[in-house]
Amino acid sequence: MELTITNLSKTYSNGVKALNDVNLTIPKGMFGLLGPNGAGKSSLMRTIATLQEPDSGTITLGDLDVLTEKDEVRKVLGYLPQEFGVYPKIDAETLLDHLAVLKGIANAKERKEIVKALLQKTNLYKFRTKNLGGFSGGMKQRFGIAQALLADPKLIIVDEPTAGLDPAERNRFHNLLAEIGENTVVILSTHIVDDVKELCTQMAIINQGNVLLTGHPEQSIEAIKGKIWRKRIEKGELEDYKKQYTVISDKMFAGKPEIRVFSDGQPDPSFDNVESHLEDVYFTQINAAVKEEAADVV
Amino acid sequence: MWFKILKFELKYRANRPATYIYFGILFLMSFLAMSTDVVRIGGGAGLVKENAPVTIASMMGILSAVFVMISSAIMGVAVLRDFDHKMESIIFTNPIKKLDYLLGRFIGSFIILLLVFSGIVLGFMLGEIMPWRDAEKLLPFNAWNYIQPFLTFIVPNLFFTGALFFVAGALSRKMVVVYLQWIALFIVYQVTLIITSEIDNRTLAAILDPFALSTMNNVTQYWTVVEQNTNVIPLSGKVLINRLIWVSVGFITLIIGYFTFSFNVVKSSWFKPKQKVQKTEKFPDVDIPKVSQSFTMSVTLQQLWKNSWFYCKDILNSVVFKAITFFGIFILVLNSFYMGRVFGMNTYPTTYQILQLIGGFNLFFLIILVSFSGELIWKERDVKINLIYDAMPVKDFVNLLGKFFGMIMLFIFMLLVLLVTGVLIQTFKGYYDYNIAVYFKTLFTETLFFLILYTLLCFFIQVIVNNKFLGYAVIILFFIASAVLSTLGVEHSLFQFAETDLGPYSDMNGYGHYVTSFSWLNVYWLGLAMILFVLATMFSVRGSEALMKIRFKVGKLRLTKPLVTFLLMAVIVFIFSGGFVYYNTNVLNTYQNSDENEDDQAEYEKTLKQYEFITQPKIIDVNLKVDLYPKKRDYNASGTYILRNDSDEPIDKIHVQQNPSSQITLDSLYFSVSAGIEEDFEKFKYTIYKLEEPLNPGEQLKMHFKTRFVTKGFVTSNQNNSVVYNGTFFNSQQFPSLGYNEGFELFTDDDRKDHDLKPKERSMERDDPRGLANDFFGDDSDGIQFEIVISTDPEQIAVAPGYLQKEWEENGRKYFHYKMDQKMANFYSVISAEYEVVRDKMTINMDSTSKDVALEIYYNKGHEYNLERMMRSMKNSFTYFSKEFSPYQFSQMRILEFPRYSSFAQSFANTVPFSEGIGFVVEIKDEDDVDIAYYVTSHELAHQWWGHQLIPANVRGAAMLSETLSQYSALMVMKNEYSMENMQEFLKEEMNRYLSGRANEQKKEMPVTLVESQNYIHYGKGAVNMFALQDYIGEDSVNMALKRFVRDWNIFVEKERYPTTIDLMGYLRAVTPDSMQYLVTDLFDKIILFENKVETSTYASVGDNKWEVELAINSKKLEADSLGSETAVPNNYWIDIGVYGEDEDGKDKLLYLKKHLIDEEDMTFKIEVDEKPTKAGIDPINKLIDRNPEDNIKKVTEKESS
Repeated sequence: MELTITNLSKTYSNGVKALNDVNLTIPKGMFGLLGPNGAGKSSLMRTIATLQEPDSGTITLGDLDVLTEKDEVRKVLGYLPQEFGVYPKIDAETLLDHLAVLKGIANAKERKEIVKALLQKTNLYKFRTKNLGGFSGGMKQRFGIAQALLADPKLIIVDEPTAGLDPAERNRFHNLLAEIGENTVVILSTHIVDDVKELCTQMAIINQGNVLLTGHPEQSIEAIKGKIWRKRIEKGELEDYKKQYTVISDKMFAGKPEIRVFSDGQPDPSFDNVESHLEDVYFTQINAAVKEEAADVV
Repeated sequence: MWFKILKFELKYRANRPATYIYFGILFLMSFLAMSTDVVRIGGGAGLVKENAPVTIASMMGILSAVFVMISSAIMGVAVLRDFDHKMESIIFTNPIKKLDYLLGRFIGSFIILLLVFSGIVLGFMLGEIMPWRDAEKLLPFNAWNYIQPFLTFIVPNLFFTGALFFVAGALSRKMVVVYLQWIALFIVYQVTLIITSEIDNRTLAAILDPFALSTMNNVTQYWTVVEQNTNVIPLSGKVLINRLIWVSVGFITLIIGYFTFSFNVVKSSWFKPKQKVQKTEKFPDVDIPKVSQSFTMSVTLQQLWKNSWFYCKDILNSVVFKAITFFGIFILVLNSFYMGRVFGMNTYPTTYQILQLIGGFNLFFLIILVSFSGELIWKERDVKINLIYDAMPVKDFVNLLGKFFGMIMLFIFMLLVLLVTGVLIQTFKGYYDYNIAVYFKTLFTETLFFLILYTLLCFFIQVIVNNKFLGYAVIILFFIASAVLSTLGVEHSLFQFAETDLGPYSDMNGYGHYVTSFSWLNVYWLGLAMILFVLATMFSVRGSEALMKIRFKVGKLRLTKPLVTFLLMAVIVFIFSGGFVYYNTNVLNTYQNSDENEDDQAEYEKTLKQYEFITQPKIIDVNLKVDLYPKKRDYNASGTYILRNDSDEPIDKIHVQQNPSSQITLDSLYFSVSAGIEEDFEKFKYTIYKLEEPLNPGEQLKMHFKTRFVTKGFVTSNQNNSVVYNGTFFNSQQFPSLGYNEGFELFTDDDRKDHDLKPKERSMERDDPRGLANDFFGDDSDGIQFEIVISTDPEQIAVAPGYLQKEWEENGRKYFHYKMDQKMANFYSVISAEYEVVRDKMTINMDSTSKDVALEIYYNKGHEYNLERMMRSMKNSFTYFSKEFSPYQFSQMRILEFPRYSSFAQSFANTVPFSEGIGFVVEIKDEDDVDIAYYVTSHELAHQWWGHQLIPANVRGAAMLSETLSQYSALMVMKNEYSMENMQEFLKEEMNRYLSGRANEQKKEMPVTLVESQNYIHYGKGAVNMFALQDYIGEDSVNMALKRFVRDWNIFVEKERYPTTIDLMGYLRAVTPDSMQYLVTDLFDKIILFENKVETSTYASVGDNKWEVELAINSKKLEADSLGSETAVPNNYWIDIGVYGEDEDGKDKLLYLKKHLIDEEDMTFKIEVDEKPTKAGIDPINKLIDRNPEDNIKKVTEKESS
């Protein structure tokens, strides 16, 4: 089963272009959707999750037309929205059981087992009778993951799943996803580059509704290998460097800016060649897109 | 600093659209209420001007009470919004003093609140000066009339509600708590309303009502038209106390709020302690078991059930729901103490009484329904779990239908709770004759359907509008629009959503004929509701798309085959049932809205008024045959009238008026002489026949007719309740009459004006020969010989005036032949029902002769409660009336129960139909209770004299001769049987009937002798003043006068004209000593009111078992004109001075009661009594008309020895 997105476009009523002629093919396994806030990741994921209508384009999941055969898609879908709430006065077990019924798990015994297993899996079992209103952000997020895994979904869409999780919880979650992602289509959106690096076999970088790059994370890193240069500069010099070089990122290091520059050869001897990271791929793409757009405007 | 915060608050609110919307709503409501008839809020009627100060004040009071939600919205969020917007951490860490923060916010919001509510004043003022206003209904503009009530009522209301909401919001940080307070205030108001029904509680209610509505009503309840038009409600007395109480509540709340409020961001008590998260490195290694998914029909049903139960439970657990339900039931139980009160007495808590009581819960149902349909539709989105839900593989209708079923389950549960509450109320009242079937039949049809229909409507609106609060607004708009539609003449049930009337339940007739129309209308509206539901399913938001265009696109996808089938079915049901209802109401029957009805009435008058006084023969003999078919609700009637020319000129035209009902058809009408139709006004069923040979004076002819009453299909309004399955009761008006019927004319001045007709006089002058020549039953007859044969279903008994001649069965039907042996009024009844009969007889001994009278009561099985009392009343009444007035003209009396579609009893010759709703089910428990069954029976029997032996002329004052004298007669019978306290209780109600009646007078108040069918005068004032008269001149003297009156003027004596009150007054004056003549004048020929009052009362012990009471009184006598303008007139009256002590039981006991001459306004009396006095007063028994009877008596205090 493969998810194919063809020529998908969407413009919101306020004029924001959320998706601009998106084409993607997502195979089994973990697929990372990387992009800054407001890039259109959530719009894309909601559309795949049957919750939003595109202006044009098609999505197919195997033989299913996602846009018209919504009911069929939902049967195999596990979805964790970016932001969600829970009924505060209901306990985790009850709500999960209720959701399991809606998932079509009609057999009460099976339901009980899977609810128990998922609560254990997400480490919520001992809080199963606690009202969800008393859950911390991380616990709530784990509950969201549990419900997305109900009924063995074939297509899992998790939107910014690690937001609000502490590092340990994030690790646990990655392990869980990796375990499941083996024979399922899992789409994971994030703006944290490490998430993708650690988990995904395929990824796409998306910004302002456009897909900037698709491919395997390591291949992408490979493509810019040896082309990333680093230099520590003085505070006032940043603007000059930005004009002169393709500065893909800058950050403070021990009180001084440290810039990373994309260049086929060493810009000048003061630059050190550094090992390329996925982050560099990401920033290269994003900044290039920004520049292009700026050029368009001029 | 606080001033800065205040300024910020003002600026913030000035930028909020809500502020302007609230202002706009109030302005618009007020403007429309003042300038049009479309929106009505309380408001004046008749002679009270539309901008009378009292009217303005009461409208302002109502608006400020109804829109207290605006107060909660503005004041509740003043502090709360910092929490809602999660701003508290930022704001509270600033160096602001608590006092500055709270004061600034409160005053700022309160100023905004005042500005918003000033919309009412502006709306009213602008509404008043609109050019289309009818100047006759307005007073000249006076700004004070608006400003004074605004300051007196609205500002204090806003202050204390504002303070309450402000503090509640700040302390609880939850809007729910603010709303709960709103409900609580509403409850306090309801409570004051309920206790107001008892006259004794009114002062308490006036002081307690948070919105001062009861207070206004209480203070102005006896204000006359003139007073209502000129006086603003003064800020004194009860109004002042009430306002002070509630303003203090406001201040106290603010102070408490100040000390309790804390800047701490986290209020531990309101949040659950956070759970410590256990850190483990790895998720436990469990396998997720494989499960099977299935999406069959049965799974869908399972999902539906789970959803329904989930939502039902969700509402059940909500605090708001619990609060509303609790308060609703509290109100219900409280109401049960006052239920079915007649003259301060309880009716038996029969199941239908309880159901009526439960009907009061509908308001709470509506609140729950509107608010929770909004809550449920927004449930997922409010907690932001909607995207998870929406991505679940459930059918589109499951979610919505689950919510709907959840609501319905909730309602069913609540109905069961109400049922149990009802049964418990019955049990506590010692009534065990529960009719569980009737409970179910009403609650689970009428109430449940009402709930289902409105729930579906609200769902639809919420889904389509897709904004919770806008949704609520649209729903309220819908209610207003329905009301507006009906004032615009769109009254047909097919256009009034969910208006399906199951009618009043009657023990005799069950739900009767209402069931059919009720069922069909429900099918019709359910059809529409199902269509709405399908549309809601199609357009409900699933996912993140809220644009209508996209919802429409997605909606089309959702139209699955089953859904389309369902929709088609719903459309077919809707159209077919609508068509069927229309066919029944408008094709089989004639439908008219009230405007069309009025047009017809006006046209009738314009066309035919010319014939009003033409000379016609008189009916002297009526012979009828009536075949009743109760099961079909039909009858066939044929009859013969003998008409005689009693005038001194030949008559060549006979004007025949048929009953205008479209159900009655005239099959034939012919005379014993040849005649032709000269003119036929078919529309009015008025035909003029021309006799070939004129009927000469003294000659007779016969008029034969055949009519049919046919019930075809059903109607949904103006149901015929007279020919029914069990309990048919109609009177002679169903049959043809002679000449123009003045009773069909438009009555109120307003209606007449709309049709270019001049206001009409309600009665003719007392010396008008046209009135004097006719009795008050009409101008058709001066008395008839009467004979009738009625047939009916075999299980029923049919009764009409006269004596039973023969009773037989034929062709499976029962026949009854009645014949009257003497002349009687041309006014008779036909009655048929399944009856139990109790019979008794009595012998009336008169001076030389004696007479046997058979007494019978025909009643519905199960209504045995008061038969004995009614029987005793009949015996005592006949004995008293025969002895004191004249012999009883008949030898039989029958009381017959009829269904409670109307609540009255009426006296026909030897026959008294008596409504199931009064008397038969009244519970008379204590000695102190007024025995209404006894009283009404006696009153109706008195009509055999006053109305049947002595028939008044059709002029002003006629009702004094019939009703006031019957009131007097019954009072005297009761006086012999019951205690003085009992009489007092009764007279208090009658006094109240008079005083509040005159405050609502539409034209002009008349003295008793000139009464023009004004109930409050001929019943209320008549009873009080006749009682006073006999107290002053003696019962014997009054009876002597009445004896002479009936002797000289009864129908068996030949005379030139009918009697009037001039004649009665002559007899009364003849038995009144000269010194008391002024009293007769004051009681009956003038409008006199007293203001008697005790200023101080003290006592001192003066020796062994001797006490001296010193009493300072103030007494004013006022004369009012027909509009209620009063002028003080010199007082020179003998008035009771009384002193009370206590008997062993602690009850009041009169120690002293004597009339003293009151010839000055302020007087002091010293009275010696033998027992320790407790209270003393002037006119303590309230024999004289007085608007403040409470201050007539005062507790006596021991005199300080000086």
